[in-house]
Amino acid sequence: MKVKLDKRYPVAASANSAWQFLQDVKSVAACMPGAEITEQSDETHFKGMVKVKVGPVTSTFNGDIEVQGVDAEKKELILLGKGADTKGTSSASMLLTASIQDTADGQCELIGDAEVTVNGKMASFGGRMLDSISDQILQQFADNFANNVIAMGEGAAAEVAAAKVADAPKELNGLAMIWHLITGFFNKLFSRESSQP
Amino acid sequence: MAATAESLERKDKLEGIGCARKRKEDPRFIQGQGLYVDDINLPGMVYGALVRSPHAHARIKSINKEKALALPGVLAVLTADDLKPLSLHWMPTLGSDVQAVLADEKVAFQLQEVAMVIAEERYIAADGVDLVEVEYEELPAIVDPHKSMDADAPIIREDLVGKDEVGHGKRLHDNHIFTWEAGDKDSTDAVFDKAEVTIKEEILNPRVHPCPLETCGCVGSFDKVKGQLTVYMTSQNPHLVRTVLAMLSGIPESKIRVVTNDIGGGFGNKVPVYPGYVVAIVASIVLGRPVKWIESRIENISTTGFARDYHGSAELAADNDGRIKALRFNVLADHGAFNSHVSATKWPAGLFSICTGSYDIATAYVKVDAVYTNKAPGGVAYRCSLRVTEAVYLIERMIDILAQKLDIDKAEIRKRNFIQADQFPYNTSLGWTVDSGNYEPALDKVLKAVDYAGLRKEQAEKRAKGELMGIGISTFTEIVGAGPTKACDILGIGLFDSCEIRVNPTGSAIARMGTQTQGQGHETTYAQIIATELGIPSEEIQVEEGDTDKAPYGAGTWGSRSTPVGGAAVAKAARKIRDKARKIAAHLLEVSEDDLEWDIDQFRVKGVPDQAKTMKEIAMAAYSNIPDGMENGLEAVDYYDPPNFTFPFGAYVCVVDIDPKTGEAKIRRFYALDDCGTRINDMIIEGQVHGGLTEALAVAMGQLIDFDEDGNLLGNSLMDYYLPTTVETPHWETDYTVTPSPHHPLGAKGVAESPHVGGIPCFSNAVIDALSHLGVTHVDMPHTAHRIWKKLHELGAN
Repeated sequence: MKVKLDKRYPVAASANSAWQFLQDVKSVAACMPGAEITEQSDETHFKGMVKVKVGPVTSTFNGDIEVQGVDAEKKELILLGKGADTKGTSSASMLLTASIQDTADGQCELIGDAEVTVNGKMASFGGRMLDSISDQILQQFADNFANNVIAMGEGAAAEVAAAKVADAPKELNGLAMIWHLITGFFNKLFSRESSQP
Repeated sequence: MAATAESLERKDKLEGIGCARKRKEDPRFIQGQGLYVDDINLPGMVYGALVRSPHAHARIKSINKEKALALPGVLAVLTADDLKPLSLHWMPTLGSDVQAVLADEKVAFQLQEVAMVIAEERYIAADGVDLVEVEYEELPAIVDPHKSMDADAPIIREDLVGKDEVGHGKRLHDNHIFTWEAGDKDSTDAVFDKAEVTIKEEILNPRVHPCPLETCGCVGSFDKVKGQLTVYMTSQNPHLVRTVLAMLSGIPESKIRVVTNDIGGGFGNKVPVYPGYVVAIVASIVLGRPVKWIESRIENISTTGFARDYHGSAELAADNDGRIKALRFNVLADHGAFNSHVSATKWPAGLFSICTGSYDIATAYVKVDAVYTNKAPGGVAYRCSLRVTEAVYLIERMIDILAQKLDIDKAEIRKRNFIQADQFPYNTSLGWTVDSGNYEPALDKVLKAVDYAGLRKEQAEKRAKGELMGIGISTFTEIVGAGPTKACDILGIGLFDSCEIRVNPTGSAIARMGTQTQGQGHETTYAQIIATELGIPSEEIQVEEGDTDKAPYGAGTWGSRSTPVGGAAVAKAARKIRDKARKIAAHLLEVSEDDLEWDIDQFRVKGVPDQAKTMKEIAMAAYSNIPDGMENGLEAVDYYDPPNFTFPFGAYVCVVDIDPKTGEAKIRRFYALDDCGTRINDMIIEGQVHGGLTEALAVAMGQLIDFDEDGNLLGNSLMDYYLPTTVETPHWETDYTVTPSPHHPLGAKGVAESPHVGGIPCFSNAVIDALSHLGVTHVDMPHTAHRIWKKLHELGAN
């Protein structure tokens, strides 16, 4: 089960500070809700884990992250993350090309181009929701990313962002995500209704 | 006349053949007193749970048991390496292949069995499964069978590399299993070359699963002191399982006892021997304790015997009047990762060559190529004889397509092609001898009952208004009752079946059978046969099955073989007893045997009706007062080897209304006429027809085992897999004609599978008929609202 995503997220900070943050794989990984780097094997290889909570059940995904390319010129980072849950019932991988682009207003955009592959139980159960769920995860990631970058700066905006970073959920909450999906579905439904002539 | 009234009353009291007697099984089921395998609890029993692969195709790099073994209550973790010293890590399949019991170095389908955790409690075993660490290296998976034989296709079965045969002739590729052919290719091609009309259609019988309410499971219990193995399990064929277990384990067959108590539905799913059974039994031998293993619903749907997955390319050649001149069917069969296809040894594609159906088709050729894919193994006959649904679906769809092509009415074209009543026994061009049939009167009866002409008129009016209404017809012929031992065996054992009857001194009787009920009502109907044959009331006849220590050997219940084979054995055993009873009666009445005649429940002297001995009196005499030279007792056993299969048939009509906006197909009416020859119990037949039609509805309208391109099973719980409930099930109208089988002792043919086999094409024909005026000739099942809507959308019709 594969999903391809191609997204742009505005970041209210300069391209240089965003790029500076993007090169720190440990911090970038931490932007993924519930994820953390547990070990650095060498310059480009890391071990990490992601905690997913669905209702009372918490699953842990262990995996490897490989930095496949860093291009300072293009401000582009290519990451391959691969993992399996510790119960051995599901596995997932993501090939992410993330880059930073200047926008006219002196701020920037985070451009994420991801191919997500899911196997096992997660594909059987959640296959049809994979598009929306990946979308949700990336959105949370981008929010955390932006807050982290802004928090690197100074002033009131940075303080607010830093507070948000501190408050960010420490695990990926499956039920909350499903709730977002449901509300998103209805929002879409009604906005389409109202936009009809 | 008083005598007639009196004899009628005596006859009624027996509740014999033809009586709509209530099912003897039901009181215990209704009161929750059934005994299923999960109800078995033995002292010291422990539990097994399976570790399964999340990948469809992967190499196993390592298995780490340590964490699981450290969990308190976990007794053992078994892997292929543990089974190797016993040579039990692979097992033979019914398709002449081998199957990994626990994955040996690689996995070839998602949720394949990798290890079993044995623990003191069921929940501990499940927790233990989570702690077994398996490291995989993923391999590319083949999901589409059309890609199995590509030059660069990954090899699924490395264990078979270099073998140019897997039991059924030459292989053409490492992922090829066999090619099977029937009929005359050259003369078929010749007829096609000069035919007035030819049609061709790609028709899929998609992968589905029988999904019985009770999943599979067993309790293996090895007594180390006596060296005896007892296995309680869900099996449609306990005797064959005992033989397989003896072959696998080396334990003498006399020391193995297989017990199947009540079974909650089989539908072909409970014919094979599954890895879970084997590992649970090995675990019991190793630990010296009873081991219970029960599948979850997801495990059942994902890994045990699926059905169908036959990708057909069907062709008919005909003249301009719609008379079929030749048939050519080519099939690509997806057998999954191991060929565990359930079939008689000589029939790798089952009885698929019954695909000429009810029609007089002089020339035909069929070819089936089976291939491996990274999907669960199987190929069981889901409520049908081996590959008969696939065959009937193809011919019943194709004759509709021919009618559309020639603009001939779909009932009329069937009549033009029917085998006529005076042609029976009829030899088909693919080698079968159809025992009896009378097709046209059956169809006429149905057309009249539903006012077919009126329905077509209504359809024309609706079409004019843009409404979608379809009329489906199916006039099928089934082949059941496997089968003559000269043609059919499994693992070298002929497909006869058996019955042993003992009449007690006080006149009641017990019958033990080689068949195995899974809900068919054998305790009720077999007793009725004996009641009529021996004049003993049904109520006093006990029928027992499913304990290999008690019952005579038989091949079990599948392929509608209970009545055609088992039922015949009952009649023949009863007749052996009656022959002895006649001798005893002659002795008691001091007359010659020839002077006696059988009268319901007694032998009486011809012309002197008050000189008679009832079966009850004879039974007592058998234990006390017998003629010189005779042995005591009143019992017989019969092993019945049928001379031929039986060929039940039917005529069905389905009326469907489709909502063009949502694509929802509503079954307005379904009329099913079945001819299963002599009818033993109308109520049970009707129940079987209701069940078979409901499963036909399930397959035609909703069931599908679907995969993504990596071999992930999409939807393996009842959240996704369609099981119709009373809410979705329409009202079934049933009817019958009676055309007895000439070679069966009772003239009976078997009925349980006809409604499934005949029902599926009838639903499809109705749905497609509703779209035929839009130029649609075929749409693959299942006809879910979404798929119909998509088709209508494609056509611009909604």
